[in-house]
Amino acid sequence: MMWKLRNLDMEEAYIWLQRLSSMEKDGTFCLVVVPPSGVQQVDIVEDKGEEFFDPLREPNSNVVGSLDTEDDIGHPSVVVSTEVPGQENAKREWTSFKRFLMQRFPVSKMVSISAMSDGILRSGKGYEKLSMSTDPDELDDSQKFSEEGIRSIARQEYISRLKEFKEKFADAWQSGDRVTSLKLAIKVAKLLTDTSVGQFYPTLFVLATDIMEMLGDMVWERVKQKAEYAEDGTFLCSLPASFRADDVGLDAKETCNNWFCKIGSVKELLPRIYLELALLPCWRFLVDQPIDSIQRLVMMARGVADPLACSYCRLYIARCAQKLPSVDTGSLIRCINDTKHLLMHSMSLREGSQESSKDRRKSLVSLMEPSIEYIMRHIFQDASLKLLESAVVEFGLGNTEAHGSNPSISIIVHNLIKELPVDMVNSKTIDIINLIECCNDYTLDQCLNYRLLGFRLSESKYSLHIVTVVDRVIRVVSQKDMLDEYLKVVDAYVDLIFQNHMDDHLVKILDGISKRICNKGMVGDELACLQSILVKLLSHFKNLEDIFSLNHFLEILDMMYGRSRMIVNMHILDKATRGGLICDPTTIQLLFEVSQALNDSIDQVNVRDEDLQQPARMISRFIDKVSYGADRERHLAFLVECRRAFGSTNELKETLVHSSNSLAVKALIERKNHLDFLKSCIAFSEVTISSVTALVRQLKLYLETAEVALLGGLVSHSDGLVQSAISCMQSVDLVDVSRGPTDADETLNFLQKICGFLIILPGNPEKGAVYTPKSLFALLNSQSWMTPRMRARICCAMISLSATLSQKNLPYHASKSGIPSNDILFYGNSAYFGELVSFSEEVVRKLVDAIKQEPSPVARGSMALEACNCIALSFKMSCEISAICFELLEMARRGLGAKDRYLKSTINLMDSYSTSPQLCQ
Amino acid sequence: MSPAMEIKLSRASRVYRPSVEPLEGKIIVKSTSSVSHYGIRLTVNGSVSMKVRGGSAGIIESLVGAVKPITIVSKSIEVKPSGKIASGTTEIPFSMMIRQSGDDNHERFYETFHGANISIQYLLTADVMRGYLHKPLSTTMEFIVESDKAELLERPVSPEMVIFYITQDTQKHPLLPELKAGGFRVTGRIPTLCSLSDPISGELVVETSVVPIQSIDVHLLRIESILSGERIVTETSLVQSTQIADGDVCRNMTLPIYVILPRLLTCPTSLAGPFSIEFKASIVITFESQLSKTHPKSDPRTPRLWMAMETLPLELIRTR
Repeated sequence: MMWKLRNLDMEEAYIWLQRLSSMEKDGTFCLVVVPPSGVQQVDIVEDKGEEFFDPLREPNSNVVGSLDTEDDIGHPSVVVSTEVPGQENAKREWTSFKRFLMQRFPVSKMVSISAMSDGILRSGKGYEKLSMSTDPDELDDSQKFSEEGIRSIARQEYISRLKEFKEKFADAWQSGDRVTSLKLAIKVAKLLTDTSVGQFYPTLFVLATDIMEMLGDMVWERVKQKAEYAEDGTFLCSLPASFRADDVGLDAKETCNNWFCKIGSVKELLPRIYLELALLPCWRFLVDQPIDSIQRLVMMARGVADPLACSYCRLYIARCAQKLPSVDTGSLIRCINDTKHLLMHSMSLREGSQESSKDRRKSLVSLMEPSIEYIMRHIFQDASLKLLESAVVEFGLGNTEAHGSNPSISIIVHNLIKELPVDMVNSKTIDIINLIECCNDYTLDQCLNYRLLGFRLSESKYSLHIVTVVDRVIRVVSQKDMLDEYLKVVDAYVDLIFQNHMDDHLVKILDGISKRICNKGMVGDELACLQSILVKLLSHFKNLEDIFSLNHFLEILDMMYGRSRMIVNMHILDKATRGGLICDPTTIQLLFEVSQALNDSIDQVNVRDEDLQQPARMISRFIDKVSYGADRERHLAFLVECRRAFGSTNELKETLVHSSNSLAVKALIERKNHLDFLKSCIAFSEVTISSVTALVRQLKLYLETAEVALLGGLVSHSDGLVQSAISCMQSVDLVDVSRGPTDADETLNFLQKICGFLIILPGNPEKGAVYTPKSLFALLNSQSWMTPRMRARICCAMISLSATLSQKNLPYHASKSGIPSNDILFYGNSAYFGELVSFSEEVVRKLVDAIKQEPSPVARGSMALEACNCIALSFKMSCEISAICFELLEMARRGLGAKDRYLKSTINLMDSYSTSPQLCQ
Repeated sequence: MSPAMEIKLSRASRVYRPSVEPLEGKIIVKSTSSVSHYGIRLTVNGSVSMKVRGGSAGIIESLVGAVKPITIVSKSIEVKPSGKIASGTTEIPFSMMIRQSGDDNHERFYETFHGANISIQYLLTADVMRGYLHKPLSTTMEFIVESDKAELLERPVSPEMVIFYITQDTQKHPLLPELKAGGFRVTGRIPTLCSLSDPISGELVVETSVVPIQSIDVHLLRIESILSGERIVTETSLVQSTQIADGDVCRNMTLPIYVILPRLLTCPTSLAGPFSIEFKASIVITFESQLSKTHPKSDPRTPRLWMAMETLPLELIRTR
């Protein structure tokens, strides 16, 4: 067996890729591969001028869809009452609002109901019975109720009964039985009077108004049809979208009027209001000013004393008002003011202080809030400036004297602040503050209003009274002793304080927080709030040192715990590692402590795996960025300290090894009494590597360190490290490695890489020049888990290795070290060659065996070709070699078929080599 | 299949004003075979029927129960002379002047009214005479009479409103002690003259009430009086209840009173010789009380310890 002689320099130049090295300011090298020409580079342009477009916040005024298409004359039965511009949007908004309502309030499985809801209990028996509802029957039921008090029904059953109602309602209408339809609708509307259902009420509201909506649409279509078609079906005229009452014929008017009469005869107030609301758009057939009806209905709703029923009724008023062509903000404002009076009235009635009644009130307010929010939003949506001005005056803003006489309610003020346009918030800030100050009631914690105001003020860049406002709020809040309240308010103003450079307030705030924490520790909400404040602080300051030097900052940080602490720590590290190198020893020490706390919290806090990765990455970034300048000993000492602190995390140990290796390389470059330092670095790395538990990482680190050692001229160290890596592989637990294909691939990778490294590592004169490759080869025998493919690949690598070692000039050297490499040490040494040859022979045999073991013929074929190529490249053609090659080619032909292109090109290659005449004489 | 016949009036509302306009429509006959007949006739009958029930009526009347009805109109015309109706659907249009000008023999055309004791009804009957071998075809339909525009008053420029006060002192019946002691005051305005085509609209304010309010309702009452023999029998009954307030409403807030007058169950207030129809509006406040729960379904007009009320006359008129 003889090796081919190759001009490796030429070959390298032939396949050389253009390389550019660029040095970054912190001294790390990075490789830039110049992309082939013709590939367009994509420029990422950050255009900050363009506003982010959010389709959800699209103003309602945009009319979607043309109205003409809605008037589909051919299909009057299609129920679409989209006549008013902006309807589609309003409808969509309403649909999503309904979904929100149903999801917001969790309902227990059972719904308690009172006598008022008896309709739902009897509904299951079919409406024949319902419509009978003779007097003695009703009497019976209500008596039963008064004896038993409140009953309950399964939520699911309630819902399915309502759905049943809906179906029956639609069926009755379809079959022309409109009286039954109406009766059913009335029954459903009556269910809304029963507020004892509590948390179920919003769901009930949604389901019931669905039926109301259906009724409204159907009546609308019916009347419209009457207006557009004569009784015998002849077409009269098409009503334009903005028709007037005069355009509607008497017959249609009569029908419409009849509907209102029927609804007017409903005795109970609340159902009557709901039904008229359902039919509200139909007023357009009768009068040109349907807004009058809205105003009357708003007034009528005052008669409903139950706060919950009433607020949802107003919510429905606001919804139905949108269906009219013109908006009546005045009515909506009145709705809010009436709700305010209602809440005040109920406050004056029940001044009980028992816990249970407080809870009940709280839950009532939370049930009512969506309606207030919805109405508020619609008051300020698309309102003109003039309207806005008058609206805010109605709510007690802009009229400073009136506060005493016209107090408001916390929850209403809250929603007012929430929905006011930003400009308005800015111009009326002082009034808003006054308003907040004078309402402090159970409906909403006052501090939440201060908090909301802060957030709203931060929305705009500039505000007139900002300094006054912040001063005032900070003054007010400093009188609050509860940490929770304090943090909630302060959190909202931190950004404002930064924007306006009010640093003295920052000092005050930190002081206030620390004082309050000292009094009484922290719990969940408070921690979250504090976290948010600290994160804002961190993002504001450019310099970490400035933050650390703030009074109480570290003290407050120390009081935190759990997840919030972890997040703040991560932000600190993030901040620290974003800039350049970290050189200040004090900062390093502080950050080290932060990292330590973060690392400890990983163990304490119950975190998921992906959460765990993040902090570790942060800490390793920090370790990377630490620099002691020329004082490398100190740096290494720091690394030692880090290993003690973070010894439990694999990823960090890896970073430590990288760091110490890079320290060693830097020392090497400087070449100042480096040998001892180099040795301590290598020793540090070696010790650290041995405790890394992930095999593949460990192997890679060994190799890296071995490279560094060789670079520094420490041949025996390097050799030792390679041996450690190999013995490390030998002791591998099979199960551990064969876990996944990636691990196996990585191991293969490593083995190939180590073959590459062995080219420059001088052979061990005591154990023989081929000792290391041999021990590597021995691995193949001992590791039974390796697949034939892996074995074949490793064998190929080893063949290439020995072929390279046989050359006169090695393709590369450990240039800086100045140690002689194998070509200088052994070239021409016949014993060395003999060893290489016998080694190669063994490898080739192994290779052929490995290929034969591969079960899949196709895989076997391609492996055979790979091996054939490798052998043909490495050895001179001889009988022995070509016999092996033919055997491999035959295997490939059987596996892949004779037409395979890889096979053909390999055969061509073989042909070109075999033209040498001296073959197989 | 025997032939079917129905009357279809020209107006879906079936409302006519007899002195100025004809009653128009068509008779529709549906038959699988041709029908020969001896003439098709239309008859209009309008009458006031009255009955006297128990109570103040005498023993004889209560046994007899009914007072002789008053005929307003009874008129018959032939729409078609004898002949044959072809098979399929046949429409026979008609137009009939119910009241001829100068025809003063008859009673006044009172408006249609369906009351408890008094009923004013106008019926239109179509008859097809088919000889002795076949059953005659006949169908009847009610139409509604409203007063003629020409006879009407001008619409009242401003409806006459009365201001009412309801307090513990205005009540003629005994009240719960806590009501009497704590006191209450509900004020408001309500019209005493109202057009039938308009709702009764007024307003109401609960100024004070120590006892929580359960409900405030407006009851529309009718007072029917019948001259029976030498006595006048009067009975008051409930037409419609409309809730204005449900629960203990806020104090000093104006609540609208808005009551749509039901058709057929109301008519212009009329004081004829043999009978009279009048209306009243009654505002009833029900207070929360344990006692009320033991009487769940009582007549709203009965004064109870936990109720306060104010009843005001209401004159209904036809305008336009």
